[in-house]
Amino acid sequence: MARITARRLIKRYGAFQAVHGIDFDVADGEFVAILGPSGCGKSSTMRMIAGLESISDGQILFDGIPVNAVRARDRNVAMSFENYALYAPITVYENIAFPLRSAGKDAASIDRAVRSVAEKMELTALLGLKPGALSSGQAQRVGLARALVRKPAVFLMDEPISHLDTRQRYRMRRFIKSIHQEFGHTMIYVTHDQEEALALADRVMVMSDGMIQQMATPQEVYSRPSNAFVAGFVGEPPINFLDYADADDSGLTIEGNRVALTEQLKARVRLIGPRGLAAIRPHFLRLGAESPVRLQGRGFITEELQDHNEIFVDVGSVRVAIVTPPGLRVARGEAVTISVDPEHLLLFPADVKVKEHADEL
Amino acid sequence: MYSLVDVHKRYGLRTVALRKLNLDIRPGEFFVLYGPAGAGKSTILNLLAGLTRPTSGDVRRDGASITHLPPERRNAAMAFENYALYSHLTVAENLAFPLRAAGVRPAEIEVRVKSVAGVLGIPHVLDRRPGFLSGGQRQRVALGRAIIRPADIYLLDEPIGHLDAKLRHRMRAELKALAVDMKATIVFTTTSSKEALALGDRIGILNAGRLEQAGTAAELYDRPANTFVASFVGDPPMSFLNVSVRPAEGGPALVTGDGQSIGKAPSGALGRGGLKAGVRSTALTLVDPGTPGALAGQVEVVEHLGHSSIAVVLSGTDHIQVLLPADARLRPGERVGLRVDPTRLHIFADETALATDAA
Repeated sequence: MARITARRLIKRYGAFQAVHGIDFDVADGEFVAILGPSGCGKSSTMRMIAGLESISDGQILFDGIPVNAVRARDRNVAMSFENYALYAPITVYENIAFPLRSAGKDAASIDRAVRSVAEKMELTALLGLKPGALSSGQAQRVGLARALVRKPAVFLMDEPISHLDTRQRYRMRRFIKSIHQEFGHTMIYVTHDQEEALALADRVMVMSDGMIQQMATPQEVYSRPSNAFVAGFVGEPPINFLDYADADDSGLTIEGNRVALTEQLKARVRLIGPRGLAAIRPHFLRLGAESPVRLQGRGFITEELQDHNEIFVDVGSVRVAIVTPPGLRVARGEAVTISVDPEHLLLFPADVKVKEHADEL
Repeated sequence: MYSLVDVHKRYGLRTVALRKLNLDIRPGEFFVLYGPAGAGKSTILNLLAGLTRPTSGDVRRDGASITHLPPERRNAAMAFENYALYSHLTVAENLAFPLRAAGVRPAEIEVRVKSVAGVLGIPHVLDRRPGFLSGGQRQRVALGRAIIRPADIYLLDEPIGHLDAKLRHRMRAELKALAVDMKATIVFTTTSSKEALALGDRIGILNAGRLEQAGTAAELYDRPANTFVASFVGDPPMSFLNVSVRPAEGGPALVTGDGQSIGKAPSGALGRGGLKAGVRSTALTLVDPGTPGALAGQVEVVEHLGHSSIAVVLSGTDHIQVLLPADARLRPGERVGLRVDPTRLHIFADETALATDAA
């Protein structure tokens, strides 16, 4: 096991800089998810930790010792990728045992290790099969078991479950999380899927454009996103963004609705200025006038997802999503009052990039 | 009405894409084909479009066979998952293509192109060629080209599958509204449970070339015909307890592998083996360990999903997912009780749903 530190870490590919001098610490035994859209630098970062990519500038340290010059195979890092290359001619047992045999372990300890990890991964009944007879989910579990069995210092996973269906994904999440609880490896998990990152990690490192936007617990990145990018990338259904203007201590205006502010939000407004971006999650909006903070809109469409509904309402020029209990419906064009939970209203500086992305929608 | 009647479809000698499939698509409905990759969803679209023919069985329209009717005489509009745009034409020209081919007047073409581009949120890229678009933009152009002209049936193969989460959520609503406006017959494929439930007037669940169940979202969610449907519809998926019938005071009871009773056995369960009780994460309440009538278990993992948490509880040898508030403070290893809402238990024998007894 190992503590991992990055100092001013930079990755360049020719003239293009993919990672812009980032700093982070991963504690011994911690589970960190690196979350971001494609091209954000998350895979480059992971590959530098693994030793699969050279470090252009800066440092990576394992337990305080720089590993920049240490070859990949000498870093004691295990990796699991989405495409798990199993050896087809040999059994599941032999596939899992392979790294231990290569390391010259004795037969009895290999057998113990293989059976222990197989039990944990619910693979015991499959040990005698060859990879061709496995489902994709099973094959992936074998891939994970093989990576785990040699007790690496760090376990790296790159989008290992993104191709699975919902059912299998939940199952794999349970495996991965219970493996971490059982074996306590330092784990770094790269994904573009915010739900996976929140579900699995102790802390989530949100990246975009080669920089760390926030590194915090799942609860924090969800409830207290550090900027509009994090707010927009984390959360399902996605957060609603609305421009606001004329902000001062008396309130602010969103699409023609004058909204009063809590003391906390007044402080934000003093910081940001009279214009900016308001963000509110669909879960923190209600139909009706129960809150003093209200928006007026017109119904667009109601989606009945059985365990909840998602209702889209046009507030001025912005289409806002609201999560409601099942049974609530809004007709197209119906006048609707939306209550905003002011505790969950987020204000950000008008972010040009987020705005562009919103226009793109 | 479009019908597939006893349709069997094989590719080559060994690959069976569809097995004795019967399916009706009603006029004006938004029909979603939902299933894992390789289930046969795209094959059904190709059969309806006339791009492929069944190995055996019949494709019908309003009762008359169209199995041998060539695609150009079916008036079907199709959007492919891999876009298939003309790379040498601009977005506007790509969108206009089906209209020009149909001899629509240029002035009207311009109006329709602008309108569709507006609905799909791509009016600012009309002058670009496909090579200069993002994947999400290309996918919307492909969708636009399909919906721009009046057709008898619209066949949309995962048309929003490549969009990022935010855009996908937004486009889902747009597409539903558009379908309501157009009153069009639409067949739409997806691998997402949420998309299927949000969009479909009816949903057909496919698995390995078989239609497992077709019905409204509520029917599939509340009355799944088998464990495949039960575990495939809804997110998080339904959890299953392995149970058997034991005599008890007040009649036969359903009992878990480690002897805990979860309620009365429906009469259909008597004498049956391979019994499973399915329960959704929302039908469970967390109570103190040792609460009478509650299932005893131990927390395996807790996932924080922002607006809520999901705990996986191991009870006996069964893993059960429970939906919790975001601020739930549960720790792995903690002992808990689970109260099951008996009206929301689904009982399956040999993977097939049993009728519940009338109360």
